[in-house]
Amino acid sequence: MTWDAIVIGAGHNGLIAAARLGQAGKRVLVLEAREAPGGLMAARGGMTVAMLPTALNADVARALDLHRHGLSYGAPVATLALGAGGAVRISGREASGAGKAVAVAYGALHDRLTRQAAALGRMLMKTPPRLRDGGAGDLIALARMGLGIRLLGKDEMRDLLRILLSNIWDVLNDEIGDGPLAAALAMEATLGGAMGPRSPGTVLPLLYRMAGRGRLRALGGPDAVIAALVRAVGAGGGAIRTGAEVARILVGEDDRAGGVRLTTGEEIRAPLILSNAHPRRTLNDLLGVAHLDAEDARRARLMASTGMVARLDFALSGAPVADGGMAIPSGERLIVAGNMAALETAFNAAKYKEIPDRPVLECTYEAGRGLLSVNAQFVPCEVKGGWTDKARATLEGNVRAVLAGAMPGFQAMIAGVETLTPADIEARFGLPGGHWHHGEFRVDQMLMMRPFGGAAQYRMPVAGLYLCGAGAHPGGDITGVPGWNAAGQALKDGRAAK
Amino acid sequence: MKYDAIVVGAGHNGLTSAAFLARAGLKVLVVEKNDYVGGAAVSRELTPGWTYSNCSYVCSLLRPEIIRALELPRYGLQVIPYESGATFSSGGDYFNYSADHDQLRRELMRLDPAEADNYDRFARAVMKQCRFIKPLLLRTAPDPASLRPRDLAELLYIGKRFHGLGERDMAETVRFWTMSIAEYLDQYLTNDLVKAHIAGAGIIGTGLGPYSPGTAYVLLHHYMGEVDGAIGAWGFARGGMGAITRAMADSFRASGGEIRAGSGLDRFLVTNGRVTGVALENGDEFHADTVISGMDVRRTFTEHADEADLPADFVRGVKRYRFRGSSGKLNIALDGMPDFTAAPKGARFLRGDLHFLDGMEEIERAYDDWKEGRWSASPYVDFLIPTQIDPTMAPPGKHYATIFVQYAPYELADGPWDDARREAFARTVIDKVTRHAPNFADLIVHKEVRSPADIEREVGLSEGNIFQGELTFDQLLFNRPVPGYAQYRSPIKGLYMCGSSTHPGGGVMGAPGANAAREVLRDLGRKIDLGAAA
Amino acid sequence: MSAAKNLRQPMAMGVVPGPFHDRIAPLNHRQGWMNWMGIAAPTVLDTVEFEYFAIRNQATVFDISPMMKYRISGPDAETVVNRLVTRDIRKVGPGRVTYAIWCDEDGNVVDDGTIFRFADGTFRLCCQEPQMAWLMDVAHGFDVSLADESADVAGLAVQGPTSCAVLKDMGLAGVEAMKPFDIREFRVKSKPVTVSRTGFTGDLGYELWMAPDDALTIWDHLMAAGHLRGVKVIGYEALEMARIEAGFLLPRVDFVSSQTHLRPGRARNPYELGLDRLVHLDKPHFNGRRALQRLSQTRPARKLVTLEISRDKPAHHAYVYHRGKKEVGFVTSALWSPTLKRNIAYAWVDAPYCFDGKDLSVEIYLQRELVWQRRMARAQIVDRGLFANPRRTATPPSDY
Repeated sequence: MTWDAIVIGAGHNGLIAAARLGQAGKRVLVLEAREAPGGLMAARGGMTVAMLPTALNADVARALDLHRHGLSYGAPVATLALGAGGAVRISGREASGAGKAVAVAYGALHDRLTRQAAALGRMLMKTPPRLRDGGAGDLIALARMGLGIRLLGKDEMRDLLRILLSNIWDVLNDEIGDGPLAAALAMEATLGGAMGPRSPGTVLPLLYRMAGRGRLRALGGPDAVIAALVRAVGAGGGAIRTGAEVARILVGEDDRAGGVRLTTGEEIRAPLILSNAHPRRTLNDLLGVAHLDAEDARRARLMASTGMVARLDFALSGAPVADGGMAIPSGERLIVAGNMAALETAFNAAKYKEIPDRPVLECTYEAGRGLLSVNAQFVPCEVKGGWTDKARATLEGNVRAVLAGAMPGFQAMIAGVETLTPADIEARFGLPGGHWHHGEFRVDQMLMMRPFGGAAQYRMPVAGLYLCGAGAHPGGDITGVPGWNAAGQALKDGRAAK
Repeated sequence: MKYDAIVVGAGHNGLTSAAFLARAGLKVLVVEKNDYVGGAAVSRELTPGWTYSNCSYVCSLLRPEIIRALELPRYGLQVIPYESGATFSSGGDYFNYSADHDQLRRELMRLDPAEADNYDRFARAVMKQCRFIKPLLLRTAPDPASLRPRDLAELLYIGKRFHGLGERDMAETVRFWTMSIAEYLDQYLTNDLVKAHIAGAGIIGTGLGPYSPGTAYVLLHHYMGEVDGAIGAWGFARGGMGAITRAMADSFRASGGEIRAGSGLDRFLVTNGRVTGVALENGDEFHADTVISGMDVRRTFTEHADEADLPADFVRGVKRYRFRGSSGKLNIALDGMPDFTAAPKGARFLRGDLHFLDGMEEIERAYDDWKEGRWSASPYVDFLIPTQIDPTMAPPGKHYATIFVQYAPYELADGPWDDARREAFARTVIDKVTRHAPNFADLIVHKEVRSPADIEREVGLSEGNIFQGELTFDQLLFNRPVPGYAQYRSPIKGLYMCGSSTHPGGGVMGAPGANAAREVLRDLGRKIDLGAAA
Repeated sequence: MSAAKNLRQPMAMGVVPGPFHDRIAPLNHRQGWMNWMGIAAPTVLDTVEFEYFAIRNQATVFDISPMMKYRISGPDAETVVNRLVTRDIRKVGPGRVTYAIWCDEDGNVVDDGTIFRFADGTFRLCCQEPQMAWLMDVAHGFDVSLADESADVAGLAVQGPTSCAVLKDMGLAGVEAMKPFDIREFRVKSKPVTVSRTGFTGDLGYELWMAPDDALTIWDHLMAAGHLRGVKVIGYEALEMARIEAGFLLPRVDFVSSQTHLRPGRARNPYELGLDRLVHLDKPHFNGRRALQRLSQTRPARKLVTLEISRDKPAHHAYVYHRGKKEVGFVTSALWSPTLKRNIAYAWVDAPYCFDGKDLSVEIYLQRELVWQRRMARAQIVDRGLFANPRRTATPPSDY
């Protein structure tokens, strides 16, 4: 069997890259270390790390015809921000339960941020231009981004340039004031990263998350997305091998990536390798520093990638009810934080490698399975004293206490709990820092600087090797754009070489 | 009485602006609320025999172009560099920073064999950033939303400079502008004491902690200064910081300028959206078609202007503009030189900036306390005894200590800054110093304690922010103080801003004052004379 | 890593004494000192001419202790050194030394130096500029240990036509059998001394390496042995003359390290420096290889050339002109060679003038009784290393 390309890792970006290569007629082999495809979306013992696939890029879904492969889409997910004595329901530009003045201010802010995000979002589907030494195409792309921002008009352009590197704390305090609604938005701005709401640079992730034109909410959860992507890969003639862990990317005498060696010693050849692994793992471990200049190895080593989210699943014996009597709806997104100050306080502890007394939570309740899935932040990957049983118990206890505060009677309903600390995620998925997004999403690690300056545009320093995971532009969340773009870049380079 | 221009506030920026305008032949009046000139760059004798640099206390950022053009040395200004400093750890060790490169390398190698090389690499990286930013200081920031040729040309100039760095250094520049000082230092250095010593420069004066993104850039605000071309060098103004403003005032008067101190501004006189002069609190009115405010943007527009004369977006911008005072100050008259347990007797590095600190986390925790409205039990201090170098500030054998404290909240969670709390604050700081210099507390002859609230009341800096507003990206360059109004002109015709609220911001730099004067003169169809330095 | 132990001088500013200071200071009649990596090093002890001719005529002693010295050892030592430098270190056997350069990711030169291979897995890098941070980056991920032994190893360069004879007289039996770039271990008064047949003069010469504690004993012994042959202690300036004659480059003088320059575009690659022979693109990946591969296929934008200049005044700091008008380069090092009776200089010259070398001239400024005179002198590109004497490589060397 000969392959045109090998994709390392069957996470959603790996599968999307494989499907796109398959569409172009390439024979693709996807290698997955674990027993099932899906990466962070794969179910294991009923638990997936990425629990809410609500951001799938509509252009990618359409191009891969995922609907034909069985995926269907629902209305955008609503967010319920639980606060003392009630909940704010956020759906698009509407915020009910927040008070009239706040709701109006929120609507205006939402509209403005959406326009500003869209101006930035023009960049999103494209390979980011190089800042220098690139061709005319790169200059045009840069000019286009500038034009997009200019088209916002003077006032909104100025406003965008003011808040772009600012913190979400100030923006929300200026516009809507602190409270459950602000907490939910600040959560959106900080989720998965290592920055609290007061940290400058937290507006950018929010804009990024608002920028995905046509973010689709897949029905059926992570399983359905992965199943459709697996079918899309198959439809393009690609194969997926699970339980096949790549130990090395092989580099030939010609200094090109030419295959992989599995942990079993088996070697598989292909002239094109796409890695869905974390950039640091791809370069310093799989490729190996011997094939890198010291500067690139150093950049990969130093890139910011500290995850601060723990995943907990609570099996429940009854239906949870929010403080105030509202039944927790199934399939919606819950934010349990109270206000932005609570986020900052939780972040304070994590800065010092301590477990916060009151973590802030993103949850979703599935009535059918009696399961409450929780993302708890800010939980440091490395804890002072290590992740002992006691530390884990502290984390679980603290999360339970926060939930019990928002849902009276919750403690008594708990039938079981399963916990993945960031350290568990790091170990289980080979993900440095346990970082969801394969590297902090912030201005010095985005666009032409993602994962780091000089290694952007999906091409890695060794010819024939591409990065197709969230560590590549545009970054994390279940959008599928990095995988789509990486495959496109590889195909384009292949045509250029002919 | 009619003048060509009136400057409100005799701080260093107001005086710089005024002096440049007077040199251009304008008839200029400076009005000042205090009965002394200097603003926050001032020397005062609060106890007989001792001169305090009451607010700002060291000098490096003052642009050499300004010193030359205003002939400040002729009016008595001398800046004497200090060549070293130290950070003492609680365990009895210390890191002795030295401007002498060989001595510094030896000291770094003592702490960690590779640290000397690491430091050299760090210093070069910062030097590259300084080289990039320095030419931008004495230029007006372009308005990116404008299509005027001048703004486009300026944007092109910055773009070209940026592009000239090369691709990797461009990425480095973005990193430097956006990273936290802690992470930035971690990229280069390994020793906690060395990192803690440097980190102070990233947080002094700001409402951010060393772990906050954006603080690496603040480092630059303290590193891009120079004494005689030695980048990053700091010095004492002989006779205290008031020597700077005294020289500026004398230079200004020598060009025919006039200063009226002792009565503050009541309001700007505005007719049909055009400024016509100022009315003082004592009832005096003075008229001019050009008025320049050296006060911060909040005082200028919320206290002394009529909101009806201002567009709504500007008012919103001004109200949103963030101060967040975070610094306190102790000035102390000493009966003799304190003995530092860890330092060899007569160590030269005692002549520089001293800190008492084990690592970055200690500073970050002090920041967390500040966020909660309290001062830290172990605050970050920048401690200097200038009288080891400057013989003019204390009687022979006696000394003056200046202690800058980060962080001190403007508003305390548990009540106002009254005498008892001020004393408790001072006690915390003095105890900290005394742990390293046991005879320090006993040597105190007199002390002045300044909370952010005191700084606001006396000097007029809103919330006691030493930079006239936070140095975060949303308040830098074309965003400072308000997007669309970053070129020193206010919405009121003829009313200009020249304080540190404007680009390039705080520190005793003088650049905002000079830049504002240039814009005023440009509007009058004239050119600023930066002399041979330009 | 004990490099720092000899360096703690908490109160000292400026230079500190080196391991031979107590012997050199009384001989330094001119009291000419310079700062060499923070250590006091002699510039001239009596006269430059006398010291220079001693290099070419007898035997000279120069303290090279301030050189940076790094030990690289461990199972991956060969891999790491080969990853560091551009030449193939696998071809250098144990007991041998080689000259090498190393490059950054853009193919620009970081520094040059000598690599001592003591054993299969034990190397020493000896160079002018601190390299610890760079070495740590290059070695990251490999099983190797790095130690800065700059302060733990004292060095003496013994150079000149009678140097072998002096060392023999000193009791280094068999030193005459050492070939150029050989390393041998000896004992002097029971103190271990490592000798390498290396040097910076282009002449017969050796370098002696020892522990700082033994430095004075060995110095005294060397001086006693060399007394009858007129062994001469020299300073930096004389050595600098020999360096230029011999064709060696000096960082900070002839090129700027890619790690130390501040201004964009100042770093230089091996092809520009004329060091092509030190770049072995056919070995496994090493730092800068991909960039050097590209650079090897393009013509350099400029080259460091050696010029022979008419007239007899050294062309220090001179501009280079084409047809007397167009400025095409500048001189970095210049010397009137007393031995060769030729006026030579190293100069950066832009393409294409650095290739054909026609119609070049340099502008020499001379001050004569307070009046500056400007003279244009014709210049011609010649091969580097104009001083080439067979005694540099003859084995065994003759006694004089």
